[in-house]
Parts: sequence; structure tokens; C-alpha cells
Amino acid sequence: MKLKLGRAPFLLAAMLSLAYGVWMGLLRVGWVLPLPWPDQLILHGPLMVGGFLGTLIGLERAVGIGRRWAYTAPLCTAAGSFALVLGPPGRGGAWLVTAGSIVVVAVFVSILIRHATAFTGVMLIAAVMWTIGNGLWLAGASIYRVVVWWIAFVVLTIAGERLELNRVLKPPAATLSLLFSAVGLVVAGACIAVPQPALGLRILGAGLGGISGWLCAYDIARKTVRLGGERRFIAVCLLSGYVWLGVGGIIALSIGAATPGVSYDAVVHAVFLGFAFAMILGHAPIVFPAVLGVPMPFTSSLYGPLVMLHASVAVRLIGDLIEPLARLRAWGGLLNAAALLLFVLNTARVMVFARVRNDSPGR
Amino acid sequence: MAAEADVRAALHEVIDPELGVNIVDLGLVYGIDVNPEGEVRVTMTMTSPACPMRDYLEGLVESSIIERVPDVRSVVVDIVDEPPWSPDRMSEAARRQLE
Repeated sequence: MKLKLGRAPFLLAAMLSLAYGVWMGLLRVGWVLPLPWPDQLILHGPLMVGGFLGTLIGLERAVGIGRRWAYTAPLCTAAGSFALVLGPPGRGGAWLVTAGSIVVVAVFVSILIRHATAFTGVMLIAAVMWTIGNGLWLAGASIYRVVVWWIAFVVLTIAGERLELNRVLKPPAATLSLLFSAVGLVVAGACIAVPQPALGLRILGAGLGGISGWLCAYDIARKTVRLGGERRFIAVCLLSGYVWLGVGGIIALSIGAATPGVSYDAVVHAVFLGFAFAMILGHAPIVFPAVLGVPMPFTSSLYGPLVMLHASVAVRLIGDLIEPLARLRAWGGLLNAAALLLFVLNTARVMVFARVRNDSPGR
Repeated sequence: MAAEADVRAALHEVIDPELGVNIVDLGLVYGIDVNPEGEVRVTMTMTSPACPMRDYLEGLVESSIIERVPDVRSVVVDIVDEPPWSPDRMSEAARRQLE
């Protein structure tokens, strides 16, 4: 396998965004930690979504289409994250992250021109939702008004990817129309949330629940979970993540908590942590070798961070939703951070050992 | 001399990491050319034009052929987007595996 170290700086930038974003997250749930610069608590969401997830998704797409210009997407989001953290006060960082999202839109438009497919259409809608959210953020909207667009970005990106892979099962049109209806609810919810935040979040929640239900019922992970090793691990990550997507959707639908508070915290972290990070953990053994050219053989140790992630999200949501147990929210946040740290360290350990084994004499 | 059947057998060992199906039965391999000098050219596609596993699968194809087929001097993998992959290209074996 050929090393692709030229891509490593993008991954490093994404990881630094993740680390800084998690640090801000710990401060937000009440842990007393040093705050490097004043007024940076607001950066938690932008760093986690634009800096980490945005850079990863932009890099993945650039590797996929193999065009140099596409790398300006992760370049812009990574540079934007650094500008947010280190740069002078202003909107430079937000502009760069927005520029990165526009490049991702351009990537999907270029693919759609060549091959018009439903799954690419869904991923294009996802990128457009991200860009609109970034535009609102640039225009001065509060993060909690923008977050519905960012949720739509992440969820629809993953829904599009699953739709693409599930073509091997040839799902019937009636089944697909259920998924497209749920995608429509997510888009409608984000749009309606602009004038009517609570109603919009409820509609978005219905869409999230619909996508979760569709994936639980029809995704190929239901079949590959019966296989062993890496295939089963990926499927377990996916199926368990779909459950959190459903939980986030149900909370959003039933409470419509569109302003910062415990219910809002529960929705956002069920989706971004329980769902999105379960997808990341599951696809790490595929995406990291694909991006870096370093093998990441399956080991049962990969289940450790997954179990810890789900347990920590459960603790956090219990703290969010059950008033007498509110203290658990902070502990859940700390365990969230520990799960992500364990994931990063374990992934690095597995890849380094695999590389050393491959380079050893006699191989 | 390397034979096309040997190269195809080697490609049967390249497994899609999520589906668990080999790339031949998945219908990703469009053509195999082997010349008398031992130069192998594999023409293949991906399930989607934006699939990030492009380089990864290319590496697996090269190493599988080099390791398993005798008398191979070089391997070139052409990844093409046309014609696009469709599930109709999957073999009966792949369909049964995914049932």
C-alpha cells in the first residue's frame, strides 16, 4: 500500500479542530478548565462541524474524485478552523469554512453533471444545507439557529452514502420514496426553522426519525452484521448509530427545543455524537487506509471506543432529560471526550503497529 | 507466462471492505489484458464516482496480482467512470451472498 502522507496535514488539522472543539465542549458542560482566549466558548459547534466533520467530508470527497481543485475544500475548512482559534477577531474563519462548503457543493455538482443519480443528489442537498447554514452564521445568526442546517448537512451526507451502497440490494421504488420523504422533511424542517424555530425543529425531528427508521429497516448493515470481523464491526457501528439518530429525532419532534437548554443539548449530541461519531468509528478502518495509504487491520479493540461512546452519550442524555440526574450531563460530557480520545489513540496504535509489521524484514 | 484466468482468480481475493463481496462478483472489473511480456492491465470502476476507496482498491488490486500470479512484471490499474457501475453488473454469487 502506497503512503499518501500529503493528505496527512488535512487529517491532522481535523483532529486539532476536534481536540479544541472538545475542550470548549468540556467548558460548556461546566468543567473548570483554562480558556485560552476570551469569548471562544462559541467556537465549540463551528469547530466540531466545520473544522472536524467538514474537513473530513471535504477530504473524503477530494480523494474520491481525484481532482486537485477539490482539495481546496478541506484546505479552506482547515485554514478556517485555525483562523477561528488563533486569528484576530472577525469573520475570516467563518468565510474560509463557508468557502470550503461551497467547494464541496461544486464537487457534487461536477459529479451530478456526469452521473445524475439520486444518492449524489441527496449528498448535494446536504452540502447546500451546510453552505446555507454557514451563510446564516456569517450573517450573524446565533449558533442555535444555524445548527439545524448543520444537522441536515451531516445526516443527509450519511443518508446519501447509505443510499449509494444500498443499491446492491435494489430497493424497490416504494421503499426509496419513504427515504426521500424523510429527506424532504429534514430540508423542510431546516427551512421552516428560520421563521419558526420550534416548529421547524419538530419537522426536522420527524425527518431524522424517518431516516433512522428507514436505515434500521432496510440498510445492508442488517445483513453484513451476520458476517464476522471488520464487516460485523462496521455494521454494529452503523446500526447502533441509527438508534441515536432516532432518539435525537424523537426528542426534537416531541419537545421542539430550538433554543439552548438541556433538550437542545440532547438532540444535538444524540445526532452529532451518538450518530455521526458511530459512523466515523465504523468507517475508520476503511477511510483512514483509503486516505493515508496506511493499513488499519481489524482488531476487537476497535469495539472499546464504540462501547464507551454509546455509554457516554447515554449518560449525557440521561443528565439532560431527567432533572434529578442533571449532574450526569457534565460526567457524560467528560466521558464523551474520553471516548473520542480513546478512539484517536487506539486508531493511531493499530495503524502504527500495522505499518511497522508491513515494513519489517521478510515481508 | 501469466494468464488472464490467474489474474481474474487473484482479483477474486480483493474484497470490498464493507460488503464482503469480491470486486469481480461485484461487477467492478471491466477488462483484463495480459501481454506476453507479463504486463497486466486491469480496467475497473467504482460503485460511485466519488468513492474515496479509489486509491485503496487500486493498491489492493496491484498487490493481489503481484503476490498471486507468477511471471507478472508490472500491473496498471485503470479506474474509469464510464460506463457507470450498476447493480445489474453483480453476479448471481454476489446476489446470493447479500441475501
